[in-house]
Amino acid sequence: MKRDVVIGIEIHCELKTESKMFSGSKNTINDTPNIHVNEIDLGHPGVLPTLNQKAVELALRACMLTHCKIDTLLKFDRKNYYYSDLPKGFQITQQFHPVGKDGYLDIVVEGKTKHVRLDRIHMEEDTAKQYHIDEHTYIDYNRAGVPLIEIVSKPDMSSALEAKEYVSTLRNLLIFADVTDGKMEEGSMRCDINISLKEAGSTVFGTKVEIKNLNSLNNIDKAIEAEIKRQNDLLDQGEVVLMQTRRYDETLKTTVAMRSKESAVDYRYFPEPNIRPILLQPSFIETVSNSLPWTPTKWFEYLIDLGANEIEANILINNKTLLDFGSIVLKEVKDTRLGLNWIISELTSYMNSLGEKLFETLNAYDFALFLNLISDKVISGKQAKDVLKWMIESGKDAQTLVEEHGLKVVSDDSSLLNWIDEAIKENPQSVIDFKQGKDRAVGFIVGQVMKKSKGQADPAQCNALVRQRFLEQ
Amino acid sequence: MDKNTSILKLKSIQADTNACVTIIENDVKTHEGLLSDMPIALKDNVITKGILTTGGSKLLSNYIPPYSATIVHKIKQAGGIIVAKTSLDELGMGGTGTASFNGIVRNPHDLKRQAGGSSSGSAVVVAAKAVDYAIGSDTGDSVRKPASFVGVVGTKPTYGRISRYGIIPYASSLDHVGYFTSNVSQAARLCDVLSGHDPLDQTSLPYAPTKTLETLSDDVKGKVFGIFEDVIKAISDEETLKNFERLCSALIERGAILKSISMNEDLLRACLPTYYIIANCEATANHSNLTGVNFGLTQSGENVEDIMTQTRTVGFGTLIRKRFIIGSYGLKDENQEKLFRQAQKVRRVVVEEFTKMLNQCDGLLAPATSSCAPLLEGANTNVLSNTHLIAENYMILSNFSGAPSITVPSLPVNGLPHGVNITCKIEDEATMFNMALAIESCVKELL
Repeated sequence: MKRDVVIGIEIHCELKTESKMFSGSKNTINDTPNIHVNEIDLGHPGVLPTLNQKAVELALRACMLTHCKIDTLLKFDRKNYYYSDLPKGFQITQQFHPVGKDGYLDIVVEGKTKHVRLDRIHMEEDTAKQYHIDEHTYIDYNRAGVPLIEIVSKPDMSSALEAKEYVSTLRNLLIFADVTDGKMEEGSMRCDINISLKEAGSTVFGTKVEIKNLNSLNNIDKAIEAEIKRQNDLLDQGEVVLMQTRRYDETLKTTVAMRSKESAVDYRYFPEPNIRPILLQPSFIETVSNSLPWTPTKWFEYLIDLGANEIEANILINNKTLLDFGSIVLKEVKDTRLGLNWIISELTSYMNSLGEKLFETLNAYDFALFLNLISDKVISGKQAKDVLKWMIESGKDAQTLVEEHGLKVVSDDSSLLNWIDEAIKENPQSVIDFKQGKDRAVGFIVGQVMKKSKGQADPAQCNALVRQRFLEQ
Repeated sequence: MDKNTSILKLKSIQADTNACVTIIENDVKTHEGLLSDMPIALKDNVITKGILTTGGSKLLSNYIPPYSATIVHKIKQAGGIIVAKTSLDELGMGGTGTASFNGIVRNPHDLKRQAGGSSSGSAVVVAAKAVDYAIGSDTGDSVRKPASFVGVVGTKPTYGRISRYGIIPYASSLDHVGYFTSNVSQAARLCDVLSGHDPLDQTSLPYAPTKTLETLSDDVKGKVFGIFEDVIKAISDEETLKNFERLCSALIERGAILKSISMNEDLLRACLPTYYIIANCEATANHSNLTGVNFGLTQSGENVEDIMTQTRTVGFGTLIRKRFIIGSYGLKDENQEKLFRQAQKVRRVVVEEFTKMLNQCDGLLAPATSSCAPLLEGANTNVLSNTHLIAENYMILSNFSGAPSITVPSLPVNGLPHGVNITCKIEDEATMFNMALAIESCVKELL
């Protein structure tokens, strides 16, 4: 039987703030465990939450980018449950009044635009991170209280490809808006997928299964494909799909049941009494709106205007770190084309080997000055590759390295002619060859000059002068 | 009063009254200010860094906090010296002083009687003249009722006037920091010390500290005292009523205007049940952090869930467990609308009515309790009577609305202390202290 796939996605996204959602502790999850922790994060008696304004701004950005209606009266609620990763015994969230409602995101799948509706965006705090070593459970409270937004879509997607594209588009949009770093593998963006099958064309939904905590675009794809197959197989055999929470097992390459949904807990949500409702002033919302960083689309247009081709523009848009670096370079550099070439070819390959560590030693302004040395013909393209390597290795700027290595392009006629005349004198046959129409004689003498100058001679200039000398002979 | 006298006195009353959980002998003055050299006691739900803070619960009987409440910093900056952490009904729940993990607190005027609660120990140490200042907390009437029973001034300023950061909560929307003092002038002084916006408490009022002491006067000429008729009607104790009349006459002699004001009786009778639902629902969530995972009297168990269950079973008294069950029940998905949400709606209606009453006068006056402190044993309460529902518990109205409210000692009943209560408009502590000071002067003259 032919069945339609119905997919809805919930994304938890850690916000890029300095401090936590309701406490002044630093918001850094990848650090020595339990060093960014205070009495609030640990849920000690007597503590009270203080709302992080930056988190509200970032949540508003997410709402604006996804066309959500913003609720200007911020309210928070408690979600109550006992678990060792939840020190207060409740999580502060926005159950009843999400900050954003009824938005949408247009995604492009195989050349066609697909409209995905968003149900809501709400703010909440993350739980502590638990991990197990041998028989022991360890808790890292660095993550307790980290600001999150949860973005909930309507069940508008119908394939793994659409789901993957939705997450990827949304992720890029949020990364560009500095809302999140979007690192799925590190858990700063986590996806839960709701998936069900129904008879083709039917309006009656099938039983929904939730796949929790997918941590890469690749796994989203694989998990959905595996789950579609599993549900299809069950239905083909006349069995029923149980309402469950499942996870994707990478080794088994299938989804595995975690718990049954019928035994769902009652979270006894109620309004948080320690945070009075906060009315967002229109001026505040306007400021947030005016400070929205460029979207990927806007960047694409800008890069094309600068002279990048579509492939180059897309490479940069899919690598925000490189784009941030490159955008400074492209503003400073004299020859944008040269800049684009070096960013796309050389820097991407360095990034492949070094990752973001590349930018610990290489800064954008130095890199632009380095490119200007090439366009000013101070160094040759060949020398430049070495210089860049040294820059990355040593952190020194190009000018210093050029001086240290005595590398300058010599392009003044008198110096070049000295070497040329010397070379012709040493190789008289070359003049005869040239006169007999053997053009390679020019290249031969240029080569000799390059040797004599230890590579510093400007090859183009040298070429012209050799030709001139031959003709004069 | 100096620190050493205070500590000696605290020690001498401990065996009889059980007022303190911890007596602190090594604190010294670190600053100069409005409280310079003044010994101060803190209810043991005020978090003190490095000093045992039990909240009156066995579960926290080993809890040494890593931080201090905002008010502790304020007291130190004003020159105060902390001399004791006082007994309270477990986690601030209970109005009798009999529900603490460390035993019953007794009334220093008659050891067979209650001191009232939940801020029992703080009331007692001021009554016994061991300190002039003691911090309490007031969720229903936990400062103002014991103040009446032991004969001291009990103040609860406007909700948000004093930061709650670092006070072990009972019910967040009803909790107020309150305090006991020997007289009204000290009450105004302590308000000026403790008040002021705290960025760590988002319900804290956005104002600088009050300056009520500077303008404090007992002149009530032309001031309108609203007389809370429903409360008077619900009191049967003749001495209480007679004393109240004498006080009223004395106020009139001073040029005060007395005006009878009342409220819908059904609404008034609904207050206490409404209070219990809201308070217990909030409390059950507020105390979900007490699991033994990070602190407290952790019990062993098979797994984390078992550790939590064992810790809470061993750590909480019967009364607390009962209230948590009621609270959880009220918040359950299928009950929340008809219990918790309904209670919140009733609260809003009550607050509207109460605000109308306060708008007809400068302050609303009534006996704080229907009589003197009840006996610890043999007290017989009809919980559905107006005496209980209204006369004994109407002071929760100012926890519902957040209005400032103060209990001032009045003429004795049965030879024992008894107080009257005055409640004023939100944020109008200045008028409250003014009217309270007039009452204090009248009572002095009448005695």
